[in-house]
Amino acid sequence: MAYKTKPAKTDVVIIGAGASGAAAAKVLCEAGVKVVALEKGPWRKKESFGGDELANINRYNLWPDPILNPRTWRETAADEARSEMFCPVPQMVGGGTVHWQGWLPRFTENDFRLRTVAGDLPGTSLADWPITYDELEPYYLKVEWAFGVSGQPGANKFESHRSGGYPCPPMPMSRYAQKFIKGCNALGWNAFPTPQAALSRPFNGRKATVVSAFAQQHGDPTGTRSSALNVFIPDAVATGNFELRPDCVVRELTLDSQGNIKAAIYQDADGDTIEQEADLFILACGAMETARLMLLSKSGRFPNGVANGSDMVGRNVTFHEYSAAVGTYDDPVYAWAGGGYVSASTFQHYEHDASRGFVSGGHIAVAGVGIPLPINWRMPGTPSWGAEAKKNDRDHFSHSLAIAMVLHDMPQHDNRIDLDETVVDAWGLPVARVTLKPHQNDLDQGRYLIDRGADILEASGALTIRKVYADRVTGNCSHQHGTARMGDDGATSVLNRWCRAHEVENLYAVDGSPFPTGTGANPTLTIMANAWRVADKIIAERGAAA
Amino acid sequence: MSDTFFNPHQRATVEAAMARIIPTDDTPGAREAGCVDFVDRYLSGIGYIFAKPDGSGFEVLEGASAKAWMQRIEIMRKRYVAGLLDLDARAHERFSADFVALAPQQQDDILHELEQSGTGAPTTLAVNDALAGPVSPQPALQQTSTEVDLDFLPLLVTHTRQGFYADPIYGGNRNRIGWEVIGFPGPASLKDVHTGRYTTLQYFADGEADKVREFHDGL
Repeated sequence: MAYKTKPAKTDVVIIGAGASGAAAAKVLCEAGVKVVALEKGPWRKKESFGGDELANINRYNLWPDPILNPRTWRETAADEARSEMFCPVPQMVGGGTVHWQGWLPRFTENDFRLRTVAGDLPGTSLADWPITYDELEPYYLKVEWAFGVSGQPGANKFESHRSGGYPCPPMPMSRYAQKFIKGCNALGWNAFPTPQAALSRPFNGRKATVVSAFAQQHGDPTGTRSSALNVFIPDAVATGNFELRPDCVVRELTLDSQGNIKAAIYQDADGDTIEQEADLFILACGAMETARLMLLSKSGRFPNGVANGSDMVGRNVTFHEYSAAVGTYDDPVYAWAGGGYVSASTFQHYEHDASRGFVSGGHIAVAGVGIPLPINWRMPGTPSWGAEAKKNDRDHFSHSLAIAMVLHDMPQHDNRIDLDETVVDAWGLPVARVTLKPHQNDLDQGRYLIDRGADILEASGALTIRKVYADRVTGNCSHQHGTARMGDDGATSVLNRWCRAHEVENLYAVDGSPFPTGTGANPTLTIMANAWRVADKIIAERGAAA
Repeated sequence: MSDTFFNPHQRATVEAAMARIIPTDDTPGAREAGCVDFVDRYLSGIGYIFAKPDGSGFEVLEGASAKAWMQRIEIMRKRYVAGLLDLDARAHERFSADFVALAPQQQDDILHELEQSGTGAPTTLAVNDALAGPVSPQPALQQTSTEVDLDFLPLLVTHTRQGFYADPIYGGNRNRIGWEVIGFPGPASLKDVHTGRYTTLQYFADGEADKVREFHDGL
């Protein structure tokens, strides 16, 4: 083991350089704060990505390798956990934004006060957020303009107030989006072009996004899609205040005599253990890994994990679930063009409506069926091999689409992340164990949303309709929230309204972990906007102190 | 390092079974696409796991990733060797001949028999299993593909689909046969995607590509 000099103390250490960590780094560094980011995975350049379904989807080129990064799942605490890649997210600089298509709807006003809107739902820990839509609104706009989001302001009639438009007009209209809009129009439902982290035209010195068939779940070799990797990271680097250390796995956070975080202890690519001190620490590992790192950081003061005196760390985890109604058409819809995710959406069934018999609702949008090829997909309920399977592949490849939904699963006290002491990762650390059982509300809402997707298919002239109800929550869309919820009461939350730990003054979390509820919309825009808001607060407080 | 794994009999058996999974009809099937070449090379070691994104060859795996891949390849090799022995045993039991010597309908019978005897695991594991439509009452939960957990037949089906539809650089989808069968206007090569020349805007709604033509080199 080579001797290494202990690195100098810095202002802020950010753990994780994905969507939220990169956003915080950009904002802090641009204000003159010195930031060291410790990222578990590699810092890949755009040239390392390609249009290769086998590598990107089947072979862990982008997804975490389950042998190196295992996770386990059980339904309840009474069950034995089994190995499962529950809710994986790419672990590298840029995180999930490296391979996303980037649907970026905003949450609505009521998302921040669902407990008030919907009342008590037995069996859940439904809670209002400690912040409002209005507090976040300016930050939504900042992220949308940093990313050059393509969208149409005002087109989503359920959207709350916005203080400005989108920087780029909507992406070109796909044939599958056309079908979706036709169906919604026939039903009298509002539909809008899905706002996307892509450039419909050149913006800010960047070229228009290449509309390849290899997009969703593929990295972007052209760097024309918008991601944390190609927007926030270069911004942070340009300040000269940012030091990004990839391939550095943080094992624990240690405390000083005051009970504040003293240092992050990490293992670098050479296997050396290094201590990095800072004034302030920001967790941005994704809700599951942030909770895991907090639980791994045990001390005399916090025997159950740092800032976990309340036993709330890891609890109330929510995941969304992705499922769809699949339709076929006579005429081609080419739902592989643009990777199948240059889409249209509706929030018609998003807001809570007590008459439906369940709480909340979700974002419904049109998508392709493969990613893009029939390697990892086939028509639901049909044979996987033989003459009929081949005929289905041939007949449906260009003639099928999915009306998909984001299921707003309810937070529950017993749905949680903790440590599985019997399974370790490639660094010898206990892995995240998921304990999760869907609430009846999740299943009812899922059926309702899929049925509405089928309505759209029917109204748009689909020949056949197959509904795939979500009968479990499996973490299949990489969205994760709630493991360190923010709130005003330290007994029922981990973080305060500024996402600072109630129990540790210099510890923050800015990924999905602060979200008290998961909402029914894709979370990453809100994750980045919130990280920006928290970074602004940190800057203001540092200024005040100085 | 050899680029193949199977002995001649194993290879012939895999090729015959793949030809029933994606049969040749009025369009080419697994046999013409070279799906057996794809899997034979895949199982040869860890030299063909990730194509270089510009199509100029294959990545050299190192460290923990190389170890994990060798572990996976070993598991799959064993599953193939045992699975192929089982295919022949069933063929002999029912038709007194090796699998490869049977008529196509007899081969289908054996594969169906094998499918019935399976653990009930889905026959292919999909990135989104809910969407893939579970073939068993117990849907798998993984988002990422975990083919290493599959039984022999589902594994063979998965590899046949991969060999038929994946980029030709992996040794199958010969002359882009798989893409032609389903009408996928794929890139001429991985390099075309890498350089940003490959676009699918022509397949958007009528007139849409024209509106943005000035922004796109590939149009």
